[in-house]
Amino acid sequence: MELLLELLTEEMPASHIRSAREQLESGFRRELDEARVEVRSLRALATPRRLIVAADLAEGQEDREETVTGPPLAVAKGPDGALTRAGQGFARSHGVDESRLEAVSTPKGEYLGFRRLAKGTPTAEILGTVVPRVLGALSFPKMMRWGESPFRFSRPIHGLLCVFGGRVVDTAFEGFAAAGATVGHRIAAPGPVRARTFEEYRDGLARSFVVVDPEERKKRIVAGAEAALAPLAARVYPDPGLLEDLALNVEHPLVVLGSFPEAYLDLPLEVLATAMREGQKLFSVVRDGEQLALFIGVADAAADAKGLIRRGNERVLRARLEDARFFWAKDRESPLAERAAGLKDVLFQEKLGSYEDKAQRLRKIAAYLCDKIGAADVKAPTVEAAALCKADLLTEMVKEFPGLQGRMGGLYARLEGAPAAVHQAIYEHYQPAGLEDDPPASLSGAVLAVADKLDSVVGALGIGLPVSGSSDPFGLRRNALGVCKIALERKLRFSLPLVLDRVLAAYGDRLTLDRAAAKAACLDFFSGRLRFILEKRGFRYDLVAAALAPGVDRIPDALARVEALDALKSSSQFEPFILMAKRINNIIKGTPAAKVNPDLFAEKEERELASTLSIVSGNAQPMLARGDFARAQGIIFKLQPVLNAFFDKVLVMAEQKKVRQNRLGLLQSISRMLLEIADYSLVVIEGEKGAKPRAAR
Amino acid sequence: MSVQDLVLGLHGFWAGQGCYLAPTYDIEVGAGTMTPDTFFRVLDRRPWRVGYVQPSRRPDDGRYGENPNRVQKHFQYQVIVKPSPAAIQDVYVESLRSLGVALEDHDLRFDEDNWESPTIGAWGVGWQVMLDGLEITQFTYFQQCGGIDLSPVPVEITYGLERLEMFLEQKDDIYDLDWSGDVSYRDLRLREEKEFSEYNFQAASVAMLRQAFNAAQKEAGRLVAKGLLLPAYDMCLKCSHSFNLLDSRGAVSVTERVKMISQVRALVNDIARKYTAGREGA
Repeated sequence: MELLLELLTEEMPASHIRSAREQLESGFRRELDEARVEVRSLRALATPRRLIVAADLAEGQEDREETVTGPPLAVAKGPDGALTRAGQGFARSHGVDESRLEAVSTPKGEYLGFRRLAKGTPTAEILGTVVPRVLGALSFPKMMRWGESPFRFSRPIHGLLCVFGGRVVDTAFEGFAAAGATVGHRIAAPGPVRARTFEEYRDGLARSFVVVDPEERKKRIVAGAEAALAPLAARVYPDPGLLEDLALNVEHPLVVLGSFPEAYLDLPLEVLATAMREGQKLFSVVRDGEQLALFIGVADAAADAKGLIRRGNERVLRARLEDARFFWAKDRESPLAERAAGLKDVLFQEKLGSYEDKAQRLRKIAAYLCDKIGAADVKAPTVEAAALCKADLLTEMVKEFPGLQGRMGGLYARLEGAPAAVHQAIYEHYQPAGLEDDPPASLSGAVLAVADKLDSVVGALGIGLPVSGSSDPFGLRRNALGVCKIALERKLRFSLPLVLDRVLAAYGDRLTLDRAAAKAACLDFFSGRLRFILEKRGFRYDLVAAALAPGVDRIPDALARVEALDALKSSSQFEPFILMAKRINNIIKGTPAAKVNPDLFAEKEERELASTLSIVSGNAQPMLARGDFARAQGIIFKLQPVLNAFFDKVLVMAEQKKVRQNRLGLLQSISRMLLEIADYSLVVIEGEKGAKPRAAR
Repeated sequence: MSVQDLVLGLHGFWAGQGCYLAPTYDIEVGAGTMTPDTFFRVLDRRPWRVGYVQPSRRPDDGRYGENPNRVQKHFQYQVIVKPSPAAIQDVYVESLRSLGVALEDHDLRFDEDNWESPTIGAWGVGWQVMLDGLEITQFTYFQQCGGIDLSPVPVEITYGLERLEMFLEQKDDIYDLDWSGDVSYRDLRLREEKEFSEYNFQAASVAMLRQAFNAAQKEAGRLVAKGLLLPAYDMCLKCSHSFNLLDSRGAVSVTERVKMISQVRALVNDIARKYTAGREGA
């Protein structure tokens, strides 16, 4: 039977709508499941003014047998087995024939009772309480109050529509009793729209210029833009984030094609695209990769018959582009190096100092990184870029369009004739902006980006700025992910703990945490980010945990470790290898570190194990050092036959203490070598307990 | 429709909504929110409806009269309705229609925009209202002011008069606007923009402004202690404007900025606390 629910509100932000859709789906599924109402299908839709749930539910709870318990048997029945007055009273009060009474065993003992069939509650009735509960539990990143109520929500609420099986459900939310009607588009058709079924709702609203499905709105935007641009052999420059947002900003998407004077095409493409996107949310238009003097806008209107929407947007855009052209000319009047002097007056963070301080640190960190990754040839330009990279924060263009930071500096540096490695590094040093964004294309850019991000992460964690759930004001997760992504893709094998030492040293005594604590917090944070990246790449959670267990040192090694484990997983050696490692670890668990003395070997098998180990270890070490864990693993596996023979013939736990410790020492050195690749005891093999993924953190 | 007609139209409309039409406040402010007709009146529990024109001074936005959109002083039409009525969005939309905007031919959008003013410890949740891509109004449900949670919640509607007028007249240059039939915005304001831009950026005496800031700050503290809250608040407004001028003169360093803003905020929060303490249950 069909459920249709709509909460009508004032215009909600796109981020709130996304979150609300997820919460509605999981909330209703959870509540209905708990209420034993079968959910055949359920989905949440939305417009900026509506949160919508459409579902197919069972008509009622299933009937079920229940047991009603009365007095204890000892009280209810006499010694002769006949009912006492208490027993008769129980039967009478429930209107049950005495013949249906029976003994019921409970944890507290035997009781008199009877079984009966409980009729399931109708779903409509259950919805009466479930609806306000699910809606009341919705939470948003920033909530508000309005009027005289202490209630908090995304934006003020205006109505509740709730229909089940064609009938209005008897329920209410925040003073709004459920009704069987809503209203249409705010401007184009504000009148009432009646709805008893989802189909009637969707079609009625469609006639009132509201498209209820965000996916459908997105399709219309894409199709509308294609239709408008096809005759010009042009297309929209793809901007998936903007498209997603626009689909949640409008109830009735209307695609508008507009233009601006060609003279503005002299501006850099970055500036044009940003001026259009930010504030006005317009798409750029390209033909064969060339920017055209056109834009695609998305209005929330029925039509633009008079062209007023197009002309209005054109006027606003023209003013913005005129500003941009003014900034573009004005900014070039003073060179970046001169501008950088003003960074001492721009605050990076209250405790962490100014951007001038930051630039000084970046020079040191970048120089150190270049040395460590053998990038001597880009060292000078990267350090030069480090000194200049924040100067564009003082340009008019970046003040107006903060999203252009870095890129503007790069463009200005290029115009000033800076070498490619310098201007590219400045241009790219904020990249990647997210997990999907490209890392810097130039080596100098990669180094500077890593330095900048590490500086921010270390600084913020070093003064104890919290990162939790939705609160990450410094973008630390993004920054740490960026460092990992760059290091992984470029295979930059710097030692993270050593670089952290360098960054901490560059901060001097600015941080509130002591260096050891700050370093530990950073390593833990990076380990968490790496786990996220590796699991997102599809590696099994236990392999990721095993690969990260030795600690994060060189970031690309973490990937190489998990790849080695993953390769092992699909080989025939997997089980024997893991079992071998687990067996060793089990035996040596909790034993004190012991040294191996070859003179104490008594058996042939242990002598053989020791000599094989020395060969294997000698061969594996260089591979471990260069991060070739898959090969090292293969070589270490060669220990297996001698190790089996050892376990067969040699009693590790020998009575004589010296002999015992000697044998444990031998196993410990194997374990240490294994731990240079991964903690194999964390790997789960089939049939083993704990083969369940760890709950998401 | 001229700027003057626009003001008359808004006055008429909001008077019709039961608003008291307040005269413009006579101290320089950065936004209509900062005048006592908003600041003090949103703090207590009593209903309040007001509409007024307020010049908004932002010294840093000066462009010597050469930019068609930016000026160091513009005019806001400020409306406060407390408690926020359920139908306030519809009322606002109606105000646009009353100005002759045929909304069916346009794209009216309420775009997320949360407003805050650190200086007076105020923030709110709401939108910038966009008409065909042009921001014409700031629409805010006030949540906090002077560091105090507001209850009932007031709604603040701030029309940017020049923006709206440029839309109504379909003009691209602010100085081409008609103030009234035969007086243009250029006639009234161009010389002022030129001279004040020079004052804001070059001529203002940094020493005098620092003295003014310090004197007003000291006076505010003295008045708060005496319980003279409205005069104390006036002194805070003077501090704020002196600070803005010092800033546009490039005379405020990073650490100073944080310090000066928090000094003013502390005074304002003090005033708000005392004001509401005296009015508890009113």
